[in-house]
Amino acid sequence: MKELKLMKGNEAIAEAAIRSGCDAYFGYPITPQSEILEYLATYANKRTGMVVLQAESEIASINMVYGAAGCGKRVMTSSSSPGISLMQEGISYIACAELPCLLVNVMRGGPGLGTIQPSQGDYFQTVKGGGHGDYKLITLAPSTIQEAVDFVKLAFELAFKWRNPVMLLLDGAIGQMMEKVELFPQQERITEYEPWATTGKPKNRERNIITSLHMHPEDMEKTNIHLQNKYRQIEKEEVRYETYMCDDAEYIFTGFGLVARIAKKAAEIARNKGYKVGVFRPITLFPFPYEQINNYAKKIKGILDIEMNVGQMLEDVKLAVNGLVPVEFHGRTGGMIPTPEEIVEKFEEKIIRK
Amino acid sequence: MAKVKGDIIIDIEKCKGCKLCASACPQDTLELSKKVNSKGYLYIVRVNDKCTGCTNCALVCPEGIITVYRKTVDGNKEHIATITNVTKDINIMVKE
Repeated sequence: MKELKLMKGNEAIAEAAIRSGCDAYFGYPITPQSEILEYLATYANKRTGMVVLQAESEIASINMVYGAAGCGKRVMTSSSSPGISLMQEGISYIACAELPCLLVNVMRGGPGLGTIQPSQGDYFQTVKGGGHGDYKLITLAPSTIQEAVDFVKLAFELAFKWRNPVMLLLDGAIGQMMEKVELFPQQERITEYEPWATTGKPKNRERNIITSLHMHPEDMEKTNIHLQNKYRQIEKEEVRYETYMCDDAEYIFTGFGLVARIAKKAAEIARNKGYKVGVFRPITLFPFPYEQINNYAKKIKGILDIEMNVGQMLEDVKLAVNGLVPVEFHGRTGGMIPTPEEIVEKFEEKIIRK
Repeated sequence: MAKVKGDIIIDIEKCKGCKLCASACPQDTLELSKKVNSKGYLYIVRVNDKCTGCTNCALVCPEGIITVYRKTVDGNKEHIATITNVTKDINIMVKE
């Protein structure tokens, strides 16, 4: 027996958080992700004792996450673009202190307060930095609600495996739309703590210290080298991607999240017109599948990168391709979503007729 | 036979302005409002009296927030279709 449910993206993420044994949620409402907090608050009977707290601000909620994660708990927060911007300081602290947590960003149109419609404008913020210092977030970009649900569970696993914050990067459309999802069974909450968790000092070990402050530059550099070694290891082991009709493709559409779904339809239309087009979708944005895109670039004639921003992942695609084939770009911003027909038109205009 | 006219009630606070109902309406009675709800979305409003109570809008609404009524000309309201919050009501168990 499997349990199928018709669910809204945000509510599905909230349900998945409960089911993956999350211990605490701290957040602040912002459209288009408010339903996560609303769902957790509404179904208090489902939560098995999980703490759900509406903090006074995004800055407060990320620091509550920092504290709870330091205690070795499974903890998460969620927000949308402007709220995630407010959280950047805390995220940098958590990354330096090497604490596991789940961050959910349901992206909306920017810059500024922007719109509340879907966008993918936070790629740079999430993948290239956002906060200060040399840190990385493991970033998962689901394109369906089913993936969003599965990635919540995966995100907690990766966060604890690597002691690193994991960002679930999805856009307003996936947060707001309704889709059929298969839910995984309820997982146990944490009963045994990791050795680094600050849960009080027993007599048989030294006290655990969690900090992102180092008074001596030698220590700070050591921490940085340790972090970078960890990131290189993540790059080796955790790359995830999806290919669609890429085996015999002469051209490839690249895109992450929602756009990849539109690109698949566009690829089908293009195939009917006689162009052999495939779709390459990075699932992990950090670590980015550079090698896999480079391998495809050796076999094809051109790449069209499609995003709901003005070309952010485009830079990584170009780095991966490394000049082997032309890389063109089509993007919509501010909450507008490209249509499959529009993508095919741009593909013919920018690659075929060029 | 009494003439039948339709009417709808929309829970505007839950509307996200996806306009699926507007495109499903054969009478063009639904449009986006000029104001926003508390989440910031432009919500759907009924803009004329052409509603026939066909229930198309309620059936396509992903949020399940449109209640359709049919009324006869003598003013008696007869409730014919209510499709409320789908997330709570639809649970499918599939045998493998």
